[in-house]
Amino acid sequence: MKRSFSLLLSMIVIISLFLAACSTKTDSGSKNENQKENTGKEAVSSEPRQGGNLILAHTASPTLFNPYFSTGGPDGTIEALLFSGLVTIDREFSAVGNLAEKWDVSDDDKTYTFHLRKGVKWHDGEDFTADDVVFSYNIPLHPDYTGPRKLPFENVKEIKKMDDYTVSISLTEPYAPFITITAQFEILPEHILGDVPMKELGTHEFNTKKPIGTGPFKFEEWKDGQYIKLVAFDDYYEGRPYLDSFTFKMVPDANALMAQLQAGDISYSGISAEQLPTAKTLEEKGIIKLTSGPSNSWDFIGYNLRNPLFQDKKVRHALTHAIAKQKIIDAVHNGESTIAHGPGSPANWSFNPDMPKFDYDPDTAKKLLEEAGWKLGADKIYEKDGKKFEFTLTTTNGYGSWAKIAEIVQQQWKEVGVKVNIKVLEWSAFYEEIGPPNWKFDAVVTGWSIGSDPDPTWFWHTSEIENGLNWFGYSNPEVDKLLEINTSIVDQEERKALIQKSDAIVAEDQPYSFLYYPNGTIAHSPKLHGPKYSTANSFFEIHKWWMEE
Amino acid sequence: MITYIVRRIMMAIPLLFGITILSFGIIQIAPGDPTALMIDPMIRDKDLVAYKELYGLNDPIYVQYLKWVGNMIQGNFGDSLIRQGVAVNELIMARLPNTLLLMLVSTILAIFISIPIGIISATKQNSLADYTFTFFSFLGIATPNFWIGLVLIMFLSVHLGWFPTGGVATLNEPFSIWDRIHHLILPSIVLATADVAGLTRYIRSSMLDVLKQDFIRTARAKGFKQKKVVYKHALRNGLIPVITIFGLMLPSFIGGSVVVEKIFGWPGIGMLFFDAAFQRDYPVIMAITVIASALVVIGNLLADILYAIFDPRIEY
Repeated sequence: MKRSFSLLLSMIVIISLFLAACSTKTDSGSKNENQKENTGKEAVSSEPRQGGNLILAHTASPTLFNPYFSTGGPDGTIEALLFSGLVTIDREFSAVGNLAEKWDVSDDDKTYTFHLRKGVKWHDGEDFTADDVVFSYNIPLHPDYTGPRKLPFENVKEIKKMDDYTVSISLTEPYAPFITITAQFEILPEHILGDVPMKELGTHEFNTKKPIGTGPFKFEEWKDGQYIKLVAFDDYYEGRPYLDSFTFKMVPDANALMAQLQAGDISYSGISAEQLPTAKTLEEKGIIKLTSGPSNSWDFIGYNLRNPLFQDKKVRHALTHAIAKQKIIDAVHNGESTIAHGPGSPANWSFNPDMPKFDYDPDTAKKLLEEAGWKLGADKIYEKDGKKFEFTLTTTNGYGSWAKIAEIVQQQWKEVGVKVNIKVLEWSAFYEEIGPPNWKFDAVVTGWSIGSDPDPTWFWHTSEIENGLNWFGYSNPEVDKLLEINTSIVDQEERKALIQKSDAIVAEDQPYSFLYYPNGTIAHSPKLHGPKYSTANSFFEIHKWWMEE
Repeated sequence: MITYIVRRIMMAIPLLFGITILSFGIIQIAPGDPTALMIDPMIRDKDLVAYKELYGLNDPIYVQYLKWVGNMIQGNFGDSLIRQGVAVNELIMARLPNTLLLMLVSTILAIFISIPIGIISATKQNSLADYTFTFFSFLGIATPNFWIGLVLIMFLSVHLGWFPTGGVATLNEPFSIWDRIHHLILPSIVLATADVAGLTRYIRSSMLDVLKQDFIRTARAKGFKQKKVVYKHALRNGLIPVITIFGLMLPSFIGGSVVVEKIFGWPGIGMLFFDAAFQRDYPVIMAITVIASALVVIGNLLADILYAIFDPRIEY
């Protein structure tokens, strides 16, 4: 026992030595940082220079890097840097050539011929050819495919190699999202994955340990729970990126993220609405720069139309009239989002700016409720047939502002005479209750995000009630008819008119109280040049970004 | 002694199985499954069927459990449902060293601080020093870890810039032992705070007890110096109950670290567990549950064994 006790003591001594030594190190370390900062301010340069490490921080952890198997948002960010698709989209949702230099569309809109870029190298030095395209696009068509991406390839009939640098893809019917969604799927290397049995592709070590792509950055390492590091690819077909490396750092939560931004530990990050006031202060101090714009999404309160309470359109109009949307935006978004009257997003080309509006007007709200047969009770709550106008508003704390919005709306509705109880659930539990086949809710605060093609079928079509995202049970034959043909119209103007018409009908029906179109914000180091917020593609042309010394 | 240990281990096996059945069931009761994170208009429910088939999520729960147990006995905790194609063992092994390091350092720190404080509090009972230590240890017990952590980060890291805001090492810098220690300081201090507060109280009361014993009076009567009496005679006996506490602290190595790891972005088992719970990554949750419950059993056993070693009067 004596020995063990002295061992303990000596360990304590060693540790205390470590502690003492490192506290001196701390001082010198911070001094160096200060010096660096000072010289950074003096040096003014506007010419791009090679070098610099971008550190992006995100609160979610990526899962795997294979666009045919991944599902989450952060995966896509890294996939877009490692791999390239036939086309990519620019900051305005327009398709531009990537691995395909250009493409032709047949007169019947059913055959696309892609002319591939020559001299493109994979990260392992092999040449990129038409074989890679044929291999990749056949993945979701394979009977043994286990990934979730069958839908974008459903209309693909055949992928044919014409020669080493020409691929022709034929569709069973015209499909408008083909270029903006399907042709954006990144190409995988046939020479590495060609012989892998399809059943094993989803769990292949390529996806997590050694992805090889044609993108501007190549994979270096994944430190689990810490970061993923990518380094510049010297033979990138548009030239080596100026940045030496791109690190995706996982941070525990939004508070930690803000602290790290402030401390200068990270150089790029998205900013949530809740953190916006703090971010603004940091911008004023010159610690970060912000760039923002409309994000391709909308937040709303959706009503379960299976519930008789919400089946009268007048009631839904009344509920919307009773919501002061600007107050919500001021309270949770620092005033920086746009009031919504209907579905869609001003960031998207299909947006309809002239949808029916139901502005904040408590008196009209009351009038409409009375027209619908509701009478104000003694306790200032409306009632009908002896039943009070009372329901539960469900939301999730997975996304910062929704629970707060529920409280604000609860108050606003109470002022009119509608009683609401709030129920806040963790994300998975929320989805379990709201989604099919349970639909166990009266009304929910949530939001949709659109994606690079604006097809609204998923939210409104009757066929999406049973198993899809039409959780609220909205059904309107007129809307169904418009949506059924929308994806087959390849002409964008014609399709836009159709989507606008459908969106206007939905806005008039108000199955949701549309709240606002949130703005998105990105914070980056003032030394980093190039970032510009775009909901379509914030990392557009990242090989041209550069970092001041 | 050996037979006692073997008997205890044998007794622990059914207990561990009971725990796995319970936790497996409880996880299944929690609403949702891993696909809740895959909501995307471009992913239809029917396109997730193949994924669920692949991981056996459509099987009845008892089938899923039996499959899992079968693999677990062979030391295989299966594959992660979220990090597809990555074995749970691999995920845990990547995190375990970080957690162990943090725990080791914070525990040593806690012992280093609490033993002297406990002794002073006991030998100078009801003095100003004793009251001060008592005050701070109650404060330490009452203050939540995460609050101390956040305050330290805001003040020492963000405002003063003395410490990193989180993580285990500086990014894009070559490995350096100083850098690692620099990152270790704040989380281990925060983690040690609660332990110090508790341990100090235990050591104080146990020492007070021992100091009142006859053999201490005898020792003093023999003319031994106060120092020798306290450190040679009293401390040894005073630490015996504390050893039990250490054994019982072992499982908290995982549980207690969840909060601290999350705040400091410390990539350990606790953070892995936290994320897995929200993502419904069942195999990861189960693996960590098994490890944690094994630690409870081992910790208890260890406490009993140490007890016998340190106190010759106890025999099994």
